[in-house]
Amino acid sequence: MARLVLVPRETATLLAPLQVAVLALVMTLLGGAVLFVIYGVSPLDGLHAVFVEPLLTRYGIGEVLLKMAPLLLIAQGLAIGFRAQVWNIGAEGQLILGAIAASVLAIRFDGTDSQLLLPAMVVAGMLAGMAWAAIAAWLRTQFNANEILVTFMLTSVALQLLYFLVTGPLKDPMGFNFPQSISFAPNAVFPIILEGTRANASLYIGLAVTLVAVVFVRYSFASYKLSVGGLAPGASFYAGFSSKRAIWVALLVSGGAAGLAGVGEVAGPLGQLQRNISPGYGYAGIIVAVLGGLNPIGILFASAIMALVYVGGDFALLSVGVPDAVTGILQGILLISYLACSLLLTMRLRLVREAPG
Amino acid sequence: MKLTTGLMATAVAGLMALPAVAEDKMKIGFVYPSPIADVGWSAELNAGRAAIEEHFGDKVETLFVENVPEGPDAARIMNQMAAQGADMIMLGSFGYMNDGIKLAQQRPEMTFIHASGYKLAPNFSNFQSRNYESSYLVGMAAGDVTESNVVGIVAAYAIPEVIGMINGFALGLQEVNPDVTIKVVWLNSWFDPPKAQDSARALMAQQADVIYSLYQDTPSVVTVAEEEGVWVINTSSDMKAYAPNWLLASQIADWSSFFIESVQASMDGTFEGTAFWGGMADGTVDVKSWSDKISEGAMARITEAADAMKAGSFHPLTGPVVDQDGTERLAEGETIADPDLLGIDWLVAGVETRLPN
Repeated sequence: MARLVLVPRETATLLAPLQVAVLALVMTLLGGAVLFVIYGVSPLDGLHAVFVEPLLTRYGIGEVLLKMAPLLLIAQGLAIGFRAQVWNIGAEGQLILGAIAASVLAIRFDGTDSQLLLPAMVVAGMLAGMAWAAIAAWLRTQFNANEILVTFMLTSVALQLLYFLVTGPLKDPMGFNFPQSISFAPNAVFPIILEGTRANASLYIGLAVTLVAVVFVRYSFASYKLSVGGLAPGASFYAGFSSKRAIWVALLVSGGAAGLAGVGEVAGPLGQLQRNISPGYGYAGIIVAVLGGLNPIGILFASAIMALVYVGGDFALLSVGVPDAVTGILQGILLISYLACSLLLTMRLRLVREAPG
Repeated sequence: MKLTTGLMATAVAGLMALPAVAEDKMKIGFVYPSPIADVGWSAELNAGRAAIEEHFGDKVETLFVENVPEGPDAARIMNQMAAQGADMIMLGSFGYMNDGIKLAQQRPEMTFIHASGYKLAPNFSNFQSRNYESSYLVGMAAGDVTESNVVGIVAAYAIPEVIGMINGFALGLQEVNPDVTIKVVWLNSWFDPPKAQDSARALMAQQADVIYSLYQDTPSVVTVAEEEGVWVINTSSDMKAYAPNWLLASQIADWSSFFIESVQASMDGTFEGTAFWGGMADGTVDVKSWSDKISEGAMARITEAADAMKAGSFHPLTGPVVDQDGTERLAEGETIADPDLLGIDWLVAGVETRLPN
């Protein structure tokens, strides 16, 4: 007789996270196949449409890169906070504030030919995202208000603020009263990085933030303090690390990153401020951060895969004719598979032979 | 030189296109902003698609995507349709305008028809309904049945089309019953059934005994009204089945004839980017399922007004019309011009709620 048992891993290995990721992906593919069978679509056609088709054309690759930019940014920011057990659920709201701040500059300085406009928008967007997250940090450190609730509810406030601005002060005066701003001038939008697509230079910001995150996590004492604060608050306190500082750092970093993502949207594919600026990137960023194992390099891959599922889901709508819920279900399967498999990070499977009798 | 090469290229392209048109079916894509259900805005547009298929039979092939958010993702769906060889695209919401215009400029060989909005191109038409005409009629019915003299409106967005309908409704109502207060709840969504129902209940709590469900894409408000025993009027489809006792009337729109004409023009190469306004006169707009509880006298006046609109002898927005601030917007005998209607940003006196800006 032989059977499989779970035993704790004695040492952390580099292989484990990889195993988990591959296993989760395989399970997602299987789950996706079942899903397509339910919809009466050949599973191979369906999976081809979602996971391969977007990568076959230049346009498709551009769309994946376009989607990847905000997801990468938001997830890198969130992961830093999540490691310190500071749960910013409101990246969506911080994204909106970043978009608003950048738009205010683009609208106010419409007509200047200064090349500093876009950089100024980037800085303003980042600061606005930080400021929105700072409200939660202040309430948490001052009154111990739960940051999950505060960040989440501030997203609703941000949405109402956006609606107010696009129907009022930031509305295009020549726009027949439709709730959207003027179209931004060329010096207020990111340049396209792949000819013939919508992929733009905001992706570089995401990659730069990734690089900073790698260095920060690997080499900085500040990151170590954050992690200790998250894992063992008592030890952290004893060591004299400030938990208040950890909360501030976590929320400001994640808020700033989400604000940057907002700039990338209004100064990217949208080219204006309007009511719908994010299809839920702030929430999808949470999934990406978790999928990436809160590791900067893992998040890089996770954001690419999530972007692929988003774009591939849209492709599947048309090429194999499945409902739009498929994208959401696939993302859900991916997350659940990952969480289930992440048991293997600390445990490993071992084949045990037992003597008969 | 340049001109001749341009002409040559056009001629060659024309020659190459001819056999393709003769051989292939014309491919028409439809983009809907909400899920296609049995009733509602998307269902109505989808009925137009069915009419095209029935009229043209084998000569056309249609494809559609439902529930496409009016954000950066809509462009991908349109581009994907174009990449799959669509010759024509119907865009079902005003938020698709800018991405649609961009694609129309990139693909001069394709044609586009766009619901509401205001931008035009040689291959990009838009279509609007004179829904304010039928709104006037149902307003008259509301004025007849209300006892509390409070009427509530659950409205989607404060865009010109909706504002025009509220004004038409209010003027019709005041024609029959000058003492009514009109309260509006702005949903800021085309599709949010729970919020729509909450809003309807809030209006009922404020004594409203007639609820006007303006562009909810579902029977959400209609079912609540039936439950509570409050009169209800809805837009976009006949919803009698959802409120057999308390439905006062349903405003409907029928896009079949406009859709078929546009497809025919695209086939013939005579398509021009124009703004189509469909109203009572051409059958695009109508009212169905009048309740038999409307008094005979009121019903006679409604029929009279409807006939006058069909004959083109009566415009609901005819002066004297005064706005909420008391400013005269239309002088005695003056009717509103279409361009002013397209950008209308004021509500008539008697509507209590202000515009959200």
